[in-house]
Formats: sequence, structure tokens, C-alpha cells
Amino acid sequence: MAVTIRRLEESDEVEDFDCGDEPLNNYLKRHAWTNQEKVFIGVTYAAVDESAHRTVLGYFTLATSSVPRERFPKKYVRGLPPYDLPLILLARLAVDKRFSGKGLGHALLSEALKITLRVADEVGCRCIITDAYPDKVGWYARYGFIPLEGTAATSPQKMFLDVRTIRRASSIDSFLPERA
Amino acid sequence: MPPAVKEKSKSAAALPAKVPSPRKLKFQADLAPSEDSMVRILKTELQMTSNTDFLTDALALLRWAVSERKRGHHIISESSTGERKILLFPRLERVAPEVTLPHVDIRWTDKELESLAELASGQPADPTDALIRAMRQ
Repeated sequence: MAVTIRRLEESDEVEDFDCGDEPLNNYLKRHAWTNQEKVFIGVTYAAVDESAHRTVLGYFTLATSSVPRERFPKKYVRGLPPYDLPLILLARLAVDKRFSGKGLGHALLSEALKITLRVADEVGCRCIITDAYPDKVGWYARYGFIPLEGTAATSPQKMFLDVRTIRRASSIDSFLPERA
Repeated sequence: MPPAVKEKSKSAAALPAKVPSPRKLKFQADLAPSEDSMVRILKTELQMTSNTDFLTDALALLRWAVSERKRGHHIISESSTGERKILLFPRLERVAPEVTLPHVDIRWTDKELESLAELASGQPADPTDALIRAMRQ
């Protein structure tokens, strides 16, 4: 199966999408397009099978955000640039259950991180933040996402990945065996 | 030579060289009668009397618009009923980045911000094997 990842289009078929999580299903079916094209609060990228171009197999949503410098504790401010901290929010990432275990999540995250680097190059951003469900914290940690302390027990776990780490990963060309 | 004169000549030598103040630039534009009229109307509405003030404010506004568009932000007007219009200005679109992502506010706890600040102000972690594979894909 050859998969293409591109921006969500209005005619994409999303009604049968089922990742096993109702809020994530509902977001794709009811809000993703509106949020992308009408209210501009998130851009959704869809993974589609090249032979069945309109069926969404998985998706992720990105937005930018920033933290005002004055909100940081004073003891850390000296180590930060004298501006608000720009960042990218990986707001959602989901794969249809019928296609799980095929590396689609890896492909989606890979694309999200490449977009992060492009945004960092074009407009600047310091890190990517994601809200991970408790059972997905380990999966994100494999890619180097670090859990932030202080997330409320009832909220998804906020996790941090430094753009400098992503950039370094993209410049490494040493041989790594493919995972079994 | 009397000492007082010596002193005087010493202090004169210590004076810094006079730095020329930056020249103000004259700006002249050929406006069509309709544009000239528009400038006059706007100046009246904005209670401006000088062309310099008008140009300075127009420049500030354009500069802001360019910086927002460069960051990929859209410039939107919203009516009292919530109807939104997006400014599409061809020259501004030239500075828009290829990847445009909207901006959202995130709710942070104080502890999360402290943790974020500590990570962002420190040395970046080494990439994991999975990350290296992801970037190579």
C-alpha cells in the first residue's frame, strides 16, 4: 500500500474513519475541515492510500503557539531568547484501526516533524509540543519526546521535543538498521 | 604659553568629532486625483495634518501586516455578528511562507511552564534511533 500524506481536502472521505477513540474520530469528521479552512485554528494532514485517494487512513493536526516570556519562572528566563517562545502544537494524531500496525503512525509523525523543521526554517519555532494519551506516552518517548512535569492527572500528558534535536536527527546520515 | 591656554587647547582636543545627524529623506509620490482625494479624506478621518504623520502611520501598518503574513498569520476582520473577512492582498501574499499554520493558545499549568522553560533553556537531547529513522523516511 503506497500512502500519501497531504493537507486534508473537502472531498476526502472521513465518515468511516475509526481509530477507536471517539473524540479523535469526531474531530476529523466534524471539525478538522472547518478548523483548517474557515476558522484557521489547525491544519490537518491526511494519510491517503494512493489507489483510493479520498479515503483517510490516518491524520494529524498542527498549529503554532507561543509562550509569553514573562510567564516563565525568572530563574530560567536568562537561558531563553529575549522573546516569546514560539512552538508547534501537534494537537492530534490518529490512525484508523483497520490500518494500525503498518507503520502509519510513524509515517504521520515523520511528516509532522518534517513540517516542524520547515516551519522552523521559515518563521522560527523552538520546539514541538504534543498532548499524549497516557497509553501513548511511551510511543512518543521513543522519538525523544520528553514528558513535561505538572500536567493535571485528568489531562493528556504534554510532551516536549526540541527543534535542535530534530534538526540534528535530520542531519545524521550514519547507517541505522531498519527495525524488524 | 600660559597654562590656562594649554588646558583650554587640551580640552578642545578631547571633544568628540561631531557626528552628522542622519539625513531625513524626502518622499515624493505622483498620485492620481482619486488617490490624492483618498489621502485627504483619510487624513481628515484620522485627524492628521501632516503628510509625514500619514506616511509614518501607513508605514507602521504595512510593516505590521508584512510581519504577520511572514509568520503565516492571516489578517481577518470580524463583524459584530461574527462574519469574518480575510485580507487577500497580492503583494502581502508574496511574503507568506509556504507552510502556514494557524496560531492557538495553549493552557499551561505553572509547573508545566517551569518544566518547559528548563528543557528549552538547556542543551538539546541527542536524537533517538526512532527519531533518526523518522527524519530519514
